[in-house]
Amino acid sequence: MTASIGSSVTSATGEPGTRSRRGADLIVKSNLLLVFLGLCVVASLLAPQFLTGRNIANLLQQSSLTGIVAIGMTMVVLTAGIDLSVGSVAAFGGMTVALLMTSGVPVLPAILLSVVAGAAFGAFMGGLSAYLTLPSFMTTLAGLTAVRGLTYLLTDGKPAEAGGSEGFQLLGGGFIGYVPIVGIIFVVVTLLAAGILRGTTFGEYVYAVGSNKEAARLSGLPVRGVITTVFAVSGGLAALAGVLLTSRLTVGQPTAFNGLELDAIAAVVLGGTNLFGGRGGVFGTFVAVLLLSVLRNLCNLLGLGSFFQMVVTGLILLVALVLNLLIERRGARA
Amino acid sequence: MSTERLRMTGIVKRFPGTVALDGVELSVRPGEVHCLLGENGAGKSTLMKILSGSYRPDEGTILLDGQPYTPATPHAGLAAGVAVIYQELDLLPDLTVAQNLLLGRTPRLGPFVRRAERARLARRALDRVGARFPVTAKVRDLPIAAQQLTAIAKALTADARVIVMDEPSATLGESELLAVFEVIRSLVAEGRSVIFISHRMDEVMEIGDRATVLRDGRAVGVYDLAVTGADEIVAAMIGEAGELVGATDRPAPGGEPLLSVERVHVPGLLDVRGIEVRPGEVVGLAGLGGAGRTTLLRALFGDVKAQVTARLDGRPLKVGSPAAAVRAGLALVPESRKEQGLMLGLSVSRNAAVGALGRPPWLLPGRLGRRLTAPALADLGVRAAGPGQPVGQLSGGNQQKVVLAKWITRGGIRVLLLDEPTRGLDVGAKADLYRQVRHLADQGVAVLLASSELNELTANADRIQVLYEGRNVARFDPRVSAENVIAHTVITGATP
Repeated sequence: MTASIGSSVTSATGEPGTRSRRGADLIVKSNLLLVFLGLCVVASLLAPQFLTGRNIANLLQQSSLTGIVAIGMTMVVLTAGIDLSVGSVAAFGGMTVALLMTSGVPVLPAILLSVVAGAAFGAFMGGLSAYLTLPSFMTTLAGLTAVRGLTYLLTDGKPAEAGGSEGFQLLGGGFIGYVPIVGIIFVVVTLLAAGILRGTTFGEYVYAVGSNKEAARLSGLPVRGVITTVFAVSGGLAALAGVLLTSRLTVGQPTAFNGLELDAIAAVVLGGTNLFGGRGGVFGTFVAVLLLSVLRNLCNLLGLGSFFQMVVTGLILLVALVLNLLIERRGARA
Repeated sequence: MSTERLRMTGIVKRFPGTVALDGVELSVRPGEVHCLLGENGAGKSTLMKILSGSYRPDEGTILLDGQPYTPATPHAGLAAGVAVIYQELDLLPDLTVAQNLLLGRTPRLGPFVRRAERARLARRALDRVGARFPVTAKVRDLPIAAQQLTAIAKALTADARVIVMDEPSATLGESELLAVFEVIRSLVAEGRSVIFISHRMDEVMEIGDRATVLRDGRAVGVYDLAVTGADEIVAAMIGEAGELVGATDRPAPGGEPLLSVERVHVPGLLDVRGIEVRPGEVVGLAGLGGAGRTTLLRALFGDVKAQVTARLDGRPLKVGSPAAAVRAGLALVPESRKEQGLMLGLSVSRNAAVGALGRPPWLLPGRLGRRLTAPALADLGVRAAGPGQPVGQLSGGNQQKVVLAKWITRGGIRVLLLDEPTRGLDVGAKADLYRQVRHLADQGVAVLLASSELNELTANADRIQVLYEGRNVARFDPRVSAENVIAHTVITGATP
């Protein structure tokens, strides 16, 4: 049944344990996709306007900003960390880009500066967590409050006119055909993150650190650098989401993105990424973001209030978690 | 009534693949300090776990004051009057002394705690062991000796007739130990029995009345410590093994040392001087638990804050972190492969490759990893369903080989540090692992091998350094020195 690894490798399918585990993995993954597709079918039956191009475009437009943030969150969670500050950092990014542009900074540098500022916040909080071995829950909780306060301080709590060119406004609010530009950005960010996680040494380190930090450290891996970097990515992506919102609204809102961290974490967990690190990926998060968004959209089309939506979203999360747990236990027993 | 407090007869305990206890006898009198002695793995802990009720014996009987005693749980054992104070004290550090002492038996009035009554009961318990600190102190804030006294006081609140103390001195200083000895003397003066486990012969000779020596799961003798010398008891612990078991016939590797440790100093813990390892040489580190083997290896690997004065290949060795140590050519196989060595949820090839990916092209780690690790995994003979199998599903020996494969795949190892590499492995897997280590040494790697199994060191090391209480006290050549001589040094810190 077992064989030496080397020239005479028996393929992994020869091992029943591995096969059922793989099967379980596949079910977990396609499970989410199946639920998503099923939900779309139900939605199109219940509400004929669901499958219209305009509605799909809206749906993508609405979910993309949360989605971009959730991709960064996925990388953080893969290292067994958590980033609670994304909502505040996103609002900060949205405000700074507006203020920079009104003070005459050209569009591209303004965007770049905002994103870099977000990444710096993330690197600072992640670095504190990594180098002082503080729980990232605490450092980013502090960041959530402090950065939000900083955002209010920028304009004494008032919205900031973005002004800016038409090109800037297209970024967040524009469409190519029926496809919103933010949707394209979301897809590109997801593909980039997937490429980094699966295709680079850095990505491999992310999984190694999340799987066993101590073993990674004793293998000579730059554990603290990896953790700092994923938080920088998360902060940078959050700021990008803020920039895109400002672009769509043409004003920077210091109150924007309240509670964004919870939506992002919900999508990450629903997408099958383990909160304790080491397992999962961005594709699950991508599907989960769309699924949550379709759910919300369906409730809207059916005229169900947002209170009802919240209850349904919570229940769906619970069901998904329990399902994943059951499948995983079954896999572990086999 | 019998004149015996405790009689354990014909105790047998088997574990899969091994017999831990093979018909052990132990007899303890009232008012006696009875020492239980033996080398690592002789069966002391297993015997005491049976006494406490943590394990059930496969055969044998236990009489407590003449009555059959068959505790099903430690709680039942305590209720019958047997209290065990383990080295890792089972106190809750964030609660007060009073809360700990009366945990589960808190005096109440309805739903309310009777604080004054609790404090009074706790004070009485502390006074009995002569402790002066307040019962309102948090356990965490107390010095180790005071914690030890708290644990003893807790054992006494259950009115224990037999009190087992498992190596209390391992965590105590000289003066603290004297305080604990005072308490032991007053306990036996009250007619209680104390079973005292220690590795240090001087303590045993001072506090003990009689001693039972265990070796390889059997009781090999009972000694009256008033008339027996320490040397005779040490000889009993070590056994007859007087022949040379150094199986290494090949000449010691010559040449300049590759790793030359002038001094490694961790204040209060470790002060090791003058260890040299030549290329191709396996130097064993012997010592009791807590002698400093692990600390020395971790200090060399940059994982413990220490002043390290050492040279690697003639150049000063600077290691501020494990990452720096790895860059310098050091590799560590850590003590706990599951917690420190492996990412159990990830596949065999991902574990083996993770050290080798930190160089260009930085791309496609999965494919690259499989390619890079295949030779090492094949050479080491790692048995797995495939490189994609999660490493957590492999046997212990194969897991340890994956740790080795990680370093071989990375390449550039000059010095291999092994910390208890064979823990939990069966005999075949041990031999296989040592073959692989020797193979690496033959390629010019300098190996430092720490183990608590002396016979493994004598069989596999070219030279053996003995560590005792944080210092390297002696150096042996296993081709020349008999194992019992080395064992004597390991236990006493002095050559016979």
